[in-house]
Amino acid sequence: MTALRSWGRWAATVAVVAAAFCAPRGAAAQNLTVNDVERIIAGAVAEARSRGKPASIAVVDRVGNVLAVFQMNGAPARVRVTSKRGIPRTHGLEQVEDTFVTIGAANSPSSRLSAIAKAVTGAYLSSSGNAFTTRTASQIVQEHFSPGELFAPSGPLFGVQFSQLPCSDLSVRQATNGVPAGVVSATLGPKRSPLGLSADPGGLPLYKNNVVVGGIGVEADGFYTLDNRIEDYDFDVDEVIAIAGQQRFEPDVNYRANRIFVDGRSLRYTDTRPTDLQTNPVNAPAFATITGGVVGDLANVQGYFSAAGGIVAGQTYGQAASGFAADPNGTFNFVGQTVFVLFSGGVNRFPPTASTTPTVANGGLTANEVATILGNALKVAFAGRAQIRRPLNSHIQVTVSVVDASGNVLGMARTPDAPIFGTDVSLQKARSAAFFSNPAAAAYFATYDASGTQLAPSAGQNANGVVIANFLSGVRNVLGPNALSDGIAFGARTIGNLARPFLPDGFEGAAAGPLSRPFDRWSIFNTGFQLDTVFDNIALHVRFADAVGGAIDTGATCTFFTQFATNLTRLSNGLQIFAGSVPVYRRGVLIGGVGVSGDGVDQDDMVGFLGLNDASGALGTGFSNAPHSLRADRFAPGGANLRYVQCPFKPFLNSRHRNACDGK
Amino acid sequence: MNMRSASASAALIVALVLPLAAEAGKELINTSAEPGEETLVSQTRRAPRRPAPETTMPEIDPEKVPPPAPHLPREFLPIPDRWRLVDMLGVPDRWWDPYNQNTLKGDRPIFGKDWFINLAAISDSVAEPRRLPTGRSAAGTSGPGANDVFGNGDQFIFSENIILSASLIKGNTAFKPPDFEFRITPVINVNYATAEEAGVLKRDPRSGTHRYDNHIGMQEAFADVHIRNVSDRYDFDSIRVGIQPFSSDFRGFLFQDNQLGVRLFGNRDNNIFQYNLAWFRRLDKDTNSGLNDLGKKFREDDVYIANLYIQDVPVVGFTSQFTVVHNRNTENDRFFNDNDFQERPAAIGDQRSRDYHVTYLGFNGDGHFGRANLTVSAYYAFGRDSHNQFAGGVAGVPADISAYFFAAEPSVDFDWVRLRGSFLYASGDSDPFDDKEGGFDAIFENPQFAGGDTSFWIRQGIPMVGGGGVNLTQRNGVLADLRTSKEHGQSNFINPGLILAGFGADFDLLPQLRLSTNVNSLWFANTTVLETLRNQGEIEKHIGYDLSAALTYRPFQTQNVVFRLSGALFIAGLGFKDLFVSSADPTGTGKDIYYSVLGNLVLAY
Repeated sequence: MTALRSWGRWAATVAVVAAAFCAPRGAAAQNLTVNDVERIIAGAVAEARSRGKPASIAVVDRVGNVLAVFQMNGAPARVRVTSKRGIPRTHGLEQVEDTFVTIGAANSPSSRLSAIAKAVTGAYLSSSGNAFTTRTASQIVQEHFSPGELFAPSGPLFGVQFSQLPCSDLSVRQATNGVPAGVVSATLGPKRSPLGLSADPGGLPLYKNNVVVGGIGVEADGFYTLDNRIEDYDFDVDEVIAIAGQQRFEPDVNYRANRIFVDGRSLRYTDTRPTDLQTNPVNAPAFATITGGVVGDLANVQGYFSAAGGIVAGQTYGQAASGFAADPNGTFNFVGQTVFVLFSGGVNRFPPTASTTPTVANGGLTANEVATILGNALKVAFAGRAQIRRPLNSHIQVTVSVVDASGNVLGMARTPDAPIFGTDVSLQKARSAAFFSNPAAAAYFATYDASGTQLAPSAGQNANGVVIANFLSGVRNVLGPNALSDGIAFGARTIGNLARPFLPDGFEGAAAGPLSRPFDRWSIFNTGFQLDTVFDNIALHVRFADAVGGAIDTGATCTFFTQFATNLTRLSNGLQIFAGSVPVYRRGVLIGGVGVSGDGVDQDDMVGFLGLNDASGALGTGFSNAPHSLRADRFAPGGANLRYVQCPFKPFLNSRHRNACDGK
Repeated sequence: MNMRSASASAALIVALVLPLAAEAGKELINTSAEPGEETLVSQTRRAPRRPAPETTMPEIDPEKVPPPAPHLPREFLPIPDRWRLVDMLGVPDRWWDPYNQNTLKGDRPIFGKDWFINLAAISDSVAEPRRLPTGRSAAGTSGPGANDVFGNGDQFIFSENIILSASLIKGNTAFKPPDFEFRITPVINVNYATAEEAGVLKRDPRSGTHRYDNHIGMQEAFADVHIRNVSDRYDFDSIRVGIQPFSSDFRGFLFQDNQLGVRLFGNRDNNIFQYNLAWFRRLDKDTNSGLNDLGKKFREDDVYIANLYIQDVPVVGFTSQFTVVHNRNTENDRFFNDNDFQERPAAIGDQRSRDYHVTYLGFNGDGHFGRANLTVSAYYAFGRDSHNQFAGGVAGVPADISAYFFAAEPSVDFDWVRLRGSFLYASGDSDPFDDKEGGFDAIFENPQFAGGDTSFWIRQGIPMVGGGGVNLTQRNGVLADLRTSKEHGQSNFINPGLILAGFGADFDLLPQLRLSTNVNSLWFANTTVLETLRNQGEIEKHIGYDLSAALTYRPFQTQNVVFRLSGALFIAGLGFKDLFVSSADPTGTGKDIYYSVLGNLVLAY
């Protein structure tokens, strides 16, 4: 909780409110016990039985460890991935609604994978200051925010569904599976999600004593979809079953999504009324009486959960075994606040490190510069006003990643209660900025080659037959013939402008951005360049996780662009296309990227942009934000300038300083 | 219908210019609004300090009226009717001269003995430079280097209204109300606006920083039937059907518009009592002109009004009005305005549609106590909103509306100087998540109060940047009601409310020249709603100081040529600075200054 200062008469009120909200939270470390997980599953199963809708149910802890996957007898074997907009199969992950078909050469995902993705989403998007669900995710990833408000720009987290990807080099594997697997651990997070984050109602966070301890995901209706009608009350059987499972582990009403306003629009928590429950979860038959095939059973999911091992207890976030804990080395003492870092093997997994591309001798960032950037970014976060957290006057909670010009991780750090999803996303954003700003980017487009995989598409194409290099010509049609080799600086916000189904963003009838798809083919399952470069990874992984005979998991690096080092592409955990990153320059030369994720996108932008600016000023060693003349906001396709960053309308707590970023 | 032409034009100006929500010059009001009637009535107000004339009418007894005398031979040449009298005296009828007898101005029958036509044409030109808090579009900007939400707020508007009016009247004398009246008043508007930021004038940021638009609106189209006289003093009942001007109170706080409706009205007891019973089914408006748009569907919004004016209550010289107004709105469909912004439902909260019905109980008074003039207005609003859009949650949350409003403007005249005080309180909502809605909102306000459209706060609509697709306050509105617009939006009873305290002085410097000045200080009644919308704590209540002055120049001492130049400076208080950034002061360390300038030329025939 931020240090509370106030002006006079509000002090008492704020302090009382803050105490009410915050005292219980963080006061005690919390985790899900095996008994908790059993009760959660039992409650969900009872509701599902009452409705005659057998479900697959997954429970995960806050850092994504799958604690249980329970498949009821008769649960849908597979799900249909569809936006329900009539987009035919082979367009991204979309499938025809009324037939079970394969995605590309892979099988449709099982209901177990859908349940895991939803549970991870509920856990990862939430924190002790905000309780978000998959329905919240649905609201903030669509072509308009809020959905249906034609001409309004897209959702603030547009594209976040393709994070936590199964190929992410950042995400920890549950177990090795014979392919290069990155970090492998039964306890460490952040874990990956088989389908990325989910926008399909039925994924909720789980809380104990106001601390988020995990998530529950339910798949019973057989559709992996989204809610594209915000104006109605959308009854969803997955969601109502998940609500039953969530009983006794609910978030406080004061920080549920529907109390949190972004640009004046409240976020959606659920559309399920309490009265919609047909059962009282407290009275649900005990887990022992329903498992072992009576109603269903724990189910294997390769790479996630072993039924033979039984239900496992969740990790306690904040302890080193969870992969997230306070900085043990004092590296960030200068921030003046508790700073969290990622852990592996009991040590900081991503301590500030000197750049390799370029090397320090060639202008790359030093370890001290990386630490200074991370720390200054976090200082901005601790001083800044959160947009998606309550109580009011909470400070920003985010993860910050710094990469070099090729996307090597140079360091990561975070505020203590930053939502987990931002860990992977901050790195995606940092890499996306470094990738697009790199003069070598254009040449990279042609290097896509997944032909050596089990999917065996032609070189240059993914398994849906999309020619990856075509996106380059699209970008050049808009930004000029030398685009992506002329050194123009792109932040994730600008990349996002180009990756929307309308350019300018949200304007119905406008042509699609060059990294997107025409709107009649676009959906959250078919976002264009972002998905097309990881489609093969997802398709391979779905086959593996669902144990299709002989299927080999995707490796621990996303995209099939040329690897510049072993198991590293420039987009090793996938492209991200919503705001919150800037490239780093030294004397006009690209040397890296800073990515931020976890709060409002304007907050993310400010933490990265201003943090880098402040660090630059603090050290005076020549690294900085991109020179104004190189920034992509000088392009004005159609007459409207692209955006580079946008800092928040009321940037800081306890200060009336505003317009924090203009002129910098 | 030998009403003097000039005053007829003056009345028409008042009636027509006044409700043009977008661009009208509004200051003409204060001299003419008369209790009990909509503003079309052309009676002029008594001088403030002059007591009502004590008149004792002779008893009227038909028995005592002498029988008609037989025609006697005259020495005069016969003339067709008495209207042509002045022709005989050598005064020509010149169509372009409204100051002398003119058939086109209703001075003589156009056909028959008592059918008159009255034509009017008014040109109303407004040039309006201003500076507003202006948010940049997330979709694209008007130039590079835009790294923050708030951009350059300088804007300019030019609007030209050509108001044409034609009345056909069957009547007889100046004292007896006409038997029939048919009137149409089309208004031709062209408007042009510029802004420094893209995506402000139209949502598409590619559309640039200029906008040109035009519209022809129908502001009056009614038939008025004089049902009967109920006394020898021509107390009457009349019914008027069609698009007609109406004002719910003396100062336009609740509902003042030209709307489609049916209205039964009349008076009793020598005009001591006046009443209105009215039903309006509201027409939608053209977005950029603010005029009625007959090309759009009717709004699903009805206004039912009953009111009673009583003269000389509680004291001679003060008119009291009691009113009940019921507004029922069932607008469930999404609606986007001409600039592609969503208007219904408002783009705040959970964006679920809602219905509401609200009843206003009002008391209004206008007049003087001795030499002290006073206007007061008080409303209590209660009703039901089918869905509290802030509560979101998992179910529709119906809410009870309970809100109130009070305004008073005392003034006193010293020879050629009038000193005015203004006070207004509109209740705010204290908890946007509960099932009570406590913020006062009007139906279609057009307040002539505290400086009227000279004032920055009242004249300008202020977009709620960062807090949704609504305006904090509406153009030509005083309430901080967080609705999308007066023209298209639904009323919103979850708002911060408003407190206004002001002081002003009018100086009649010359017969042709008046200087009006005004200083207002404004506060939110409760900022909880704002804090919720922005996810921003500790928003202060003080909105700021609104300093304004207006010069009105009537070179011929008539309403046929009126030029007005007004300017307002708004110095943001802490509450406003918590919300918005003036392009003049991005750092927030100094004064945030906004302005509004209005140059207005009215030419009337």
